Amino acid sequence: MNDWEYKPAADVGLAGAERWRSLRREAGLPSTLAHMTWCGLTRAYLGMWHHFRVTGAENLPAKPPFVVVANHTSHLDAIALAAALPPALRVHAFPIAAGDTFFETKATAAFAAVFLNALPMWRKSCGAHAMETLRERLVTEGLIYLLFPEGTRSRTGEMGKFRAGIGMLVAGTPTPVVPARLDGCFAAMPPGSRLPKRHPITLRFGAPQSFADVPNDRAGWQRVADSLRAAIEGLAP
Amino acid sequence: MSGAFAHPATIGISVFLVALLAVAPVIFEVLNRMGKLTPELRRELYARYFSWLVLVPLMLVPVLAGRLFTIFAVGLLGLFAYREFARATGFFRNRLLSAAVVLGIVLITLASADHWYGFFMALSSLTVCALVIVALIGDQPKGYLQRVALAVFAFALFGVCLGHFGYFANDKNYRPLLLLILLCVELNDVFAFCCGKFFGRRKLAPNTSPGKTWGGAIGAFVLTTALFAGIGWFVFAGTVLAAPVHLVTMGALLSFAGQLGDLVISSVKRDLGVKDMGVVIPGHGGLLDRFDSLLFVGPALFHYVGYFVGVGLDQPARLWF
Repeated sequence: MNDWEYKPAADVGLAGAERWRSLRREAGLPSTLAHMTWCGLTRAYLGMWHHFRVTGAENLPAKPPFVVVANHTSHLDAIALAAALPPALRVHAFPIAAGDTFFETKATAAFAAVFLNALPMWRKSCGAHAMETLRERLVTEGLIYLLFPEGTRSRTGEMGKFRAGIGMLVAGTPTPVVPARLDGCFAAMPPGSRLPKRHPITLRFGAPQSFADVPNDRAGWQRVADSLRAAIEGLAP
Repeated sequence: MSGAFAHPATIGISVFLVALLAVAPVIFEVLNRMGKLTPELRRELYARYFSWLVLVPLMLVPVLAGRLFTIFAVGLLGLFAYREFARATGFFRNRLLSAAVVLGIVLITLASADHWYGFFMALSSLTVCALVIVALIGDQPKGYLQRVALAVFAFALFGVCLGHFGYFANDKNYRPLLLLILLCVELNDVFAFCCGKFFGRRKLAPNTSPGKTWGGAIGAFVLTTALFAGIGWFVFAGTVLAAPVHLVTMGALLSFAGQLGDLVISSVKRDLGVKDMGVVIPGHGGLLDRFDSLLFVGPALFHYVGYFVGVGLDQPARLWF
């Protein structure tokens, strides 16, 4: 008879804020419930207040792992992207959020971890080790990452340059990456505004891309980033 | 809190616990001046002491506050203990089955709160049936036995066994009884540790728990039995259980069950390859590292008391449902 296989939670041994900020955090029942409720409520809000429309959902792979990348102009982006996923996939989805915005204080870290299920990306000191952890978790645990390769919200509404980080996650792996284009978020809630205005928001998912044959090096990472940026530009109405 | 201190034993145990917490740092400092403590040991003692400063009120206040406070505090203890177990084994990833275990623990707590003995007992078998069936959902026979076994084990220990402490609160005389049990279970650990230091030579179960010795186990058995019998004489005064034979039997049962609970969680930890079940209590580890000895004491004493005098028989039953 074979031994049973136990796989303790990757964040065993971490407590409180340390656990919320961990890239290895795994959601338990209470935070899964909080996250699913949050997604349900935000989806209802987006529908009622912003006439949220999603097209191209058939481009989403049926099962994780995969990555969704989108243009970034507003705090509404991550909410819209998570709410647009079918409920069966939401439970696997981790938005990658700026550590210095969402994880700096204990209160925001708790909110980002429990309700958004976000993982932190520290923009000033994002080491190769963090990217390696995210890359490994994506495939071995079958996750979905939602991320914004521009690294920050556009201050003009125009899409900025994509950073190479997305390439570090997927170059040389068969993990599909779905490009997504968000329109209307900038008009509804641009950087600096505190409350969202009533403005329609649309989200278009494009065809998934795979970068299995792209080398996992600096040039390869940039190729991935450029290819996805072009795909999102191509989704413009 | 009216009537919280109606029984003299409640006052005695509460005062003893508060006094113990007040005196402990003085003892540490005296030992330190005498050069008996290394800096590491002193640090560890203080870490444990500060944890007890939080744990003692967490145990004492609900018991003194009332029936429902006690029952829901026990329910929360069960849920948090289950959480630790589920995360240490990885069982939490079976979300549906994990939710079924949580529901079982919640229902056991509600049955106690309702003072519905029939439902409280029925839940043991009904929840096990439900867990075996829920594990079928998803049509994945691979790993079926393992996930069912982990679910049933978790529910039995953290729902059913711990749940008995909650049901005790339906007895009119529950305060001194629960305080006596909690005091003796925790001191049972302390006695085992101290006796082990003085008389411990032969290891008790070296593969399961290398620190435990026969000397520690027997010493704790004798001291805890005597302590329980001594205070129990006041707690059970006026009932058939005040007889020495019952007091000694209950004390022995408590010490034996307490040490077995400790060994069971040690065995779980060795199987998982972890040192502690969690990190919530500084100096102790997880909740289960601290409260493991309670697991079997609840059912053992509950059914002993239930057989001879009954638990909550003179109180109104089925309050809500």
